[in-house]
Amino acid sequence: MTTDPDRDDDPALAAEYAVGLLSEAETRAFESRLAVDPEFRAMVAVWTEDLVTLTDGIAPVTPPKSVQLAIEQRLFPEARQSWVRRLGLIPSLIGGLVAALLVVWATQQGILGTDPALGPNYRAEIAAQDQSLVVQATYSAASGVIEVDRTAGEQRAGRVLELWLIAGENPPVSLGLLDIGRRTTVVVPAALMASLDGGVLAISDEPPGGSPAGAPTGDVLAVGSLTAL
Amino acid sequence: MTTPPELEAMIARMALGDRTAFAALYAATSAKLFGICMRVLDNRSESEDALQEVFVKLWHSAERYQVNGLSPMTWMITVARNHAIDRLRARRAAPGDMDELAELADLTPGPEAQLIAASERGRIARCLGTLEPDRADAIRRAYLDGETYADLAYRYAVPLNTIRTSLRRSLLKLRECMSS
Repeated sequence: MTTDPDRDDDPALAAEYAVGLLSEAETRAFESRLAVDPEFRAMVAVWTEDLVTLTDGIAPVTPPKSVQLAIEQRLFPEARQSWVRRLGLIPSLIGGLVAALLVVWATQQGILGTDPALGPNYRAEIAAQDQSLVVQATYSAASGVIEVDRTAGEQRAGRVLELWLIAGENPPVSLGLLDIGRRTTVVVPAALMASLDGGVLAISDEPPGGSPAGAPTGDVLAVGSLTAL
Repeated sequence: MTTPPELEAMIARMALGDRTAFAALYAATSAKLFGICMRVLDNRSESEDALQEVFVKLWHSAERYQVNGLSPMTWMITVARNHAIDRLRARRAAPGDMDELAELADLTPGPEAQLIAASERGRIARCLGTLEPDRADAIRRAYLDGETYADLAYRYAVPLNTIRTSLRRSLLKLRECMSS
């Protein structure tokens, strides 16, 4: 069926276009007209506004945090400057590395899951230089889960703690907020799993709900490298 | 609830490349848009992929938002709805999808569809009520489930041209009702 050139046909065509009933070829032809014909565009806009109310009854569903991370990684992938350098993390990283090497096996026992096949194969101590915040993290590549155990310190009043992954020269990527309680389980988005080997974990001080910007906005309180067990 | 002027300001800042505005818009609208993807696609992981594409599109087309004359939520919902429908149609076009055929063969709206229809507000809901139930149902199916004239012809067991002619007439009647 071809598009009728007669303008009498326009009201029906505008409706069919807005509802989505035109074939692909008709839609393409229609859209080229839409671009140059404001009257036609207005007709479609009226239909579109009306049709959208058919979605009023569709309940909102909160998407997982991983979707936002994936979008921001796609839209803003460039790293103009090393975040490790920008945040002045080098000295604390060395501290974190030493701390990670010194952590005793007994500490891990309390953190480990029960299934040895899914047990952790990376760990990190994410610590402030003055030890005012110390968090133990273990990551299991098999399950894609980071278990976080806050052993010292807590969020500031009216603020939250947000966990970040810094992989190489890339900007930090949020792994989510830490629970108010001691332990938090973080499911790592599949797209990030490969970045964890050799990655750095950092914790920043953020407003409730977490950083609104896709990058740390408050103080970076603690950092630590992930090391293979 | 974010007001339309607030959403418009976010879109305008997004068009200038403001990532904070993007994050704010995402926070304000992602749940509604994800709900729509889930409703259309009925599949969580596909809806997550769809939502990603939708926000990438919104970011890239923010600078053209003013041209189309739509309110901000209408624009965003339409982008989400259209993308989800495109995916659904691609899935239906894939060979061997018996579930979709079975779904098409079922003439009665499911409880969810009935619930949604019951909660519709606005003049379109009122005016759909003035059409023959089959026609109103067909328009809803086309908009919310991406059913094409071919799907609808199959569903109602009538020739393609017949369904097109009758639905075009119904759409014009609907517009007349909504404009009165």
